[in-house]
Amino acid sequence: MAASDKVQELHVYEMNERDRGSPAYLRLSQKPVNSLGDIVPFSNKIYRGDLEKRIGITAGMCILIEHKPELKGDRYEAIFSFYFGDYGHIAVQGPYLTYQDSYLAITGGSGIFEGVSGQVKLHQIVFPFKIFYTFYLKGIGELPEELLCKPVDPHPAVEAAPAAKACEPHAAIANFTN
Amino acid sequence: MSALRSTISSGIIRSTSPTHSLLPAASSFKPIKNPCLPQTHKLFTSNSNTFSPPKRGFTCKSQAIPSDNSAPEKVQELHVYELNERDRGSPAYLRLSQKSVNSLGDLVPFSNKIYRGDLEKRIGITSGICILIEHKPEMKGDRYEAIFSFYFGDYGHIAVQGPYLTYQDTYLAITGGSGIFEGVSGQVKLHQIVFPFKIFYTFYLKGIGELPEELLCKPVDPHPAVEAVPAAKACEPHATIANFTN
Repeated sequence: MAASDKVQELHVYEMNERDRGSPAYLRLSQKPVNSLGDIVPFSNKIYRGDLEKRIGITAGMCILIEHKPELKGDRYEAIFSFYFGDYGHIAVQGPYLTYQDSYLAITGGSGIFEGVSGQVKLHQIVFPFKIFYTFYLKGIGELPEELLCKPVDPHPAVEAAPAAKACEPHAAIANFTN
Repeated sequence: MSALRSTISSGIIRSTSPTHSLLPAASSFKPIKNPCLPQTHKLFTSNSNTFSPPKRGFTCKSQAIPSDNSAPEKVQELHVYELNERDRGSPAYLRLSQKSVNSLGDLVPFSNKIYRGDLEKRIGITSGICILIEHKPEMKGDRYEAIFSFYFGDYGHIAVQGPYLTYQDTYLAITGGSGIFEGVSGQVKLHQIVFPFKIFYTFYLKGIGELPEELLCKPVDPHPAVEAVPAAKACEPHATIANFTN
């Protein structure tokens, strides 16, 4: 297999701790049910998959595409980035379905993620506060040890370790994005 | 490709295709020295004999031109019709500029149905947003920046970004994909048939495995009266792909 085809896995938890004013649900459709026209900018914290280190944030927006009453949820088109402090960022685009898992496209990155390609699996744990991501990254050098871990299995009560929540130096990556 | 893309976004070059009419005139073209690109890169060599001056009308080669001189990567073509059947509440024109003419600030989320290029099978949907950039009164149209995805049911999706000009054809960048399209790169040609209800796309895909037979076809030539065949419109099982996106 060519070096650039090697797939590296990365696990990240996105947690909305309700202290970033996110999400901002812009009901621009002006309709009582979620409708095409509604736009939802957002930004949450992200932690390493074992919940022991604070990594940074997500930042971007969700475009409401369609409310699915039979599934009691919605389809969004999500366009956003994951910020990994001094390491750089990963940009993604794809479906966010509030009622099931989905795969988003990795559209590019910066820093150690420059030139990255692949896809990322979005697994929702508690809508819309806790999401577990598994990245399948191609086309970049070996990921630094600090970002790799044995992930905590997703379950509704997952929380970041107290030291990581408090951003203590040993529990955060260098210049974690905030 | 990432270095080329960053140069494109700086406004100097609009498209990787030398036949695209948005390229600057040959006399005003300044070769750009980019250390990341091979020195023999066709688009950046001042004495390149492959650079052609812009043409008035839009012309298009049936096959994408490789952007560098390495061993040519296999390009696979895919044809898709996007049809707005006016049953998805789309588009949602958000006049956030609060001006009477289309202006920067207006946003247009949208989602339409997509069919295979021969109009015999329903594939899924598009979904995304057009950002109004500029109204072009002399062209009687608008420039948008479009960021959206094409959904192919169980096969996955393709994400794109680029220009949507209501008055002429364009090429958008393929930024990535999922499923069978995971890791995809390339570009897609947008050909408008009836604004804004019928668009014909030709994808030039690189970096993925062989496309499944079911997605390949001899496309119907675009014309204003194109419609999906009744069975595909009705989403009858033989006229759709598995778990077509809806």
